[in-house]
Amino acid sequence: MITPIELMLFVFVLISAVATALFRDVLASIVVFAAYSLGLAVVYTFYRAPDVGLTEAAIGAGITTVLLLLTIAKTSRPAHEKIFEPINWPAVAVCGGFALIVSSTLFAFPSVGDPNTAAMTNPDVTVYYLENAYEETGVENTVTAVLAAYRGFDTFGEAVVVFAAGVASMIVLGREVFA
Amino acid sequence: MTDGSVLGLITTRYAYLVVVFVATVGLYMMIANQNLVKKLIGLNMFQTGIFLFFITSAYVVDGSSAIVPADGAGGPFASPLPQVIVLTAIVVGVSLTAVGLALIIRLYAEYGTLRADALREVIADE
Repeated sequence: MITPIELMLFVFVLISAVATALFRDVLASIVVFAAYSLGLAVVYTFYRAPDVGLTEAAIGAGITTVLLLLTIAKTSRPAHEKIFEPINWPAVAVCGGFALIVSSTLFAFPSVGDPNTAAMTNPDVTVYYLENAYEETGVENTVTAVLAAYRGFDTFGEAVVVFAAGVASMIVLGREVFA
Repeated sequence: MTDGSVLGLITTRYAYLVVVFVATVGLYMMIANQNLVKKLIGLNMFQTGIFLFFITSAYVVDGSSAIVPADGAGGPFASPLPQVIVLTAIVVGVSLTAVGLALIIRLYAEYGTLRADALREVIADE
């Protein structure tokens, strides 16, 4: 069953998501999106993923917001008289269809927090890492162990992506860094 | 416990419904908003919906976070595997956002507009 904390967090997340979509002013939209990210960070923390919660708070609510603000500072922020965007009903219909199709698969899902799902009980998946991570890597935090040891190359690939994104941004903006 | 009814869906799989809703709002922003920055915010929101899906699937009721002491005491623990994928995906996502915003700044410098419909007209007139 849903707990009161989850209910409050989800209501906050849903309201801020809708507000982000409907605010006409881009700056208002960005600020509400930062609040949305922060709400999600708390949800992640409640769902026992503090590492992800911290990353979301720092990157989703922090860096992404700064990047978006820098973009509207460098471009324009059109002035509007109306507070909210008019609702685009054809788009609502398309999105409603999408939501219905995706929701129809949810009947096959296990309930939230079910400890008896295949992924949780299969000895080769979660159970293996929880039991052997400390022995094999010497790290108590299994998330760190998987991130840095078992999926070390994956994390290296992630660093390459960040580097490539930095280079791509420099090229697009035409900055001559090494000139 | 997998109740097949709609009521069972709402009471036991509510977090997945939030996932679908958030992804749908993100999709709506990408389709309906003409401002390119807001389209990118929508893309980010769709992404966070997927992240929430992974984190929810890692969650165990009354469990603790996946920090296992040397003697293996405690538990049940949340699954660390989806959490690691989401950590990676968040960083990759912000990289993509940065490139997208750089492209938007460049587009604005070239064409002087951030609206997708206005851009289409300007490019068609050339």
